[in-house]
Amino acid sequence: MTSSTPALKTVQDEAQERRSNRLALAALYVTLTIIVILYSLPGLGVIISSFKTTQEISQGGLWSAPAQINFDNYDEAWNNGNVRTYVVNSFLVTIPATLLSILVGILSGYVFSKLPFRGSNALFIFVVAGMFFPPQIVLIPLFRLFNSVGLYDTLWPLIIVHTAFGLPICTLLMRNFFSAIPAALRDAAVVDGANEGQVLLRVMLPISLPALAVLGTLQFTWIWNDFLWPLIFTQSDSMRTVMVGLVTLKGQYSVAWGVQGAMAVIASIPTLVIFIFFQRYFIQGMTLGAVKG
Amino acid sequence: MARSRWFWRIAFLAIPLLLYLVIVVGPLLYSFFFSLTDWNGFSFDFNFVGLENFSKIFVDPLFGNAIKNTIIWMAAALTLPTLGGLALALALNSRMRGARIYKSLFYLPICLSLAVVGQIWIWIYQPRWGLLNITLDSLGLVDVSRAWLASPETALIAVIVAWAWQQTGLAMVIFLAGLTSVPTELLEAAQIDGANQRQSLLRVVIPLLQPASVVVIALAVINSLKSFDIVYIMTGGGPFHSSDTLAMMMYNESFKKYFMGYGSAISVVLFLIAVVLIAFYFRQVRRLENLYD
Repeated sequence: MTSSTPALKTVQDEAQERRSNRLALAALYVTLTIIVILYSLPGLGVIISSFKTTQEISQGGLWSAPAQINFDNYDEAWNNGNVRTYVVNSFLVTIPATLLSILVGILSGYVFSKLPFRGSNALFIFVVAGMFFPPQIVLIPLFRLFNSVGLYDTLWPLIIVHTAFGLPICTLLMRNFFSAIPAALRDAAVVDGANEGQVLLRVMLPISLPALAVLGTLQFTWIWNDFLWPLIFTQSDSMRTVMVGLVTLKGQYSVAWGVQGAMAVIASIPTLVIFIFFQRYFIQGMTLGAVKG
Repeated sequence: MARSRWFWRIAFLAIPLLLYLVIVVGPLLYSFFFSLTDWNGFSFDFNFVGLENFSKIFVDPLFGNAIKNTIIWMAAALTLPTLGGLALALALNSRMRGARIYKSLFYLPICLSLAVVGQIWIWIYQPRWGLLNITLDSLGLVDVSRAWLASPETALIAVIVAWAWQQTGLAMVIFLAGLTSVPTELLEAAQIDGANQRQSLLRVVIPLLQPASVVVIALAVINSLKSFDIVYIMTGGGPFHSSDTLAMMMYNESFKKYFMGYGSAISVVLFLIAVVLIAFYFRQVRRLENLYD
């Protein structure tokens, strides 16, 4: 028996413990605050420098505060005709590919959850496994495929490939979501004479909004941020998306660091907006996609 | 009834599966086929060369180098972001006020594109005014500061650190989700039994985090195999191939040197490594499910 046994705690001990607890909490706050500041520095540097003139950057470095907030870099970046084309292209790819990948995920997720058949579980795993493979393993055949059907250097390959590669995660999340819906709901509709298409459309989808929000935020972010596919399937400036364009334009603005910073900020705004407003869904998707895999 | 069920199964699965077969599975098989050829990427024709590409792999010093760098990447991925994410999750899981803001700031980088992350860190490592060298110089460590991305000794680790900056938030999210499944009764019971904080952390919390750990570790390893975007943007695999990963080398051989046959052989190796890792992961997940069900 030692004095640390709770039953033998004295009042004095307890007061001391409370004091040391409070001290530990304060230490935790200070440490975390320092870490979070250090952690945010890289991003902050880019944002700060996007408001500075090139002269200011080359004299004072990225990390000093700007003498005055100056939007010249944003002006320059936005009025470079290419940047606007890149942003428009990114939307033209991201919006349809997000919707289509969710649509195919709904269809297959519904079958795997509510209309299982012999071997459907194996088929499900076969589809979901696609999520884990490095895309490099299909790069060359897809490059040849889109070349031979004349879709190279258009936005179509990007939409098609993102839809296909979104299928695993969308199927996984929709199946798990549909599985949590009681079978009685479907059975009641079937008794009332509804077919599977009507069940899916009128019964399942209206209560699937949370799952659709999760998938929408995830898919939008991933597709918008993608770099590899537009690098492989597009070539001309008029077909580049914003992430590849960012890298392409670096040559043109090799010493205009402020403009580079402004372009990086512009390219990140859509996903940042999604993150800020739909953070809950975003995080939920990240964990669901990972944990249930 | 049974017939109408099959009608809907086929109707729902047709498009998703067709897409998956044409864009993912078919091209994967085609990669095996191309790995036996000398296709150059431009001409429509190619010759069969048997296993020549594979025998080249085993004597190509660049391939050994890429394997080595990929293993270093995995090792770093298993330590830096994994342990960092675990520490942050444990610190932020306590009912401290403002934890939400801290969490948001730590996972904000997840919503950024690797193209942007790479850009941000290029500036940190910038030799003349980059944050790292400025800090080192001001601390009097002038000898330590260098052109981090242009030195073969530091390029790889510099890129990995940038990548880890983003991945830490992802690991934290998954560990936090795992922590919510730790029942508070269990912690209270441990406390009543006289366990101090360190003991209950090591004996209760960490063991219960096993499922989350499996996911984080699997993601770290699998994402290491995919390491391409950020390498492409920050170093392109250089200088002198010092930051070449398998995925990066596959791209360079195929789309820079146009050795599409050889590139396909590398992608086949990449696929085989991924299969082993993914099979191992699925087995672990299944084992855990049996353990907890």
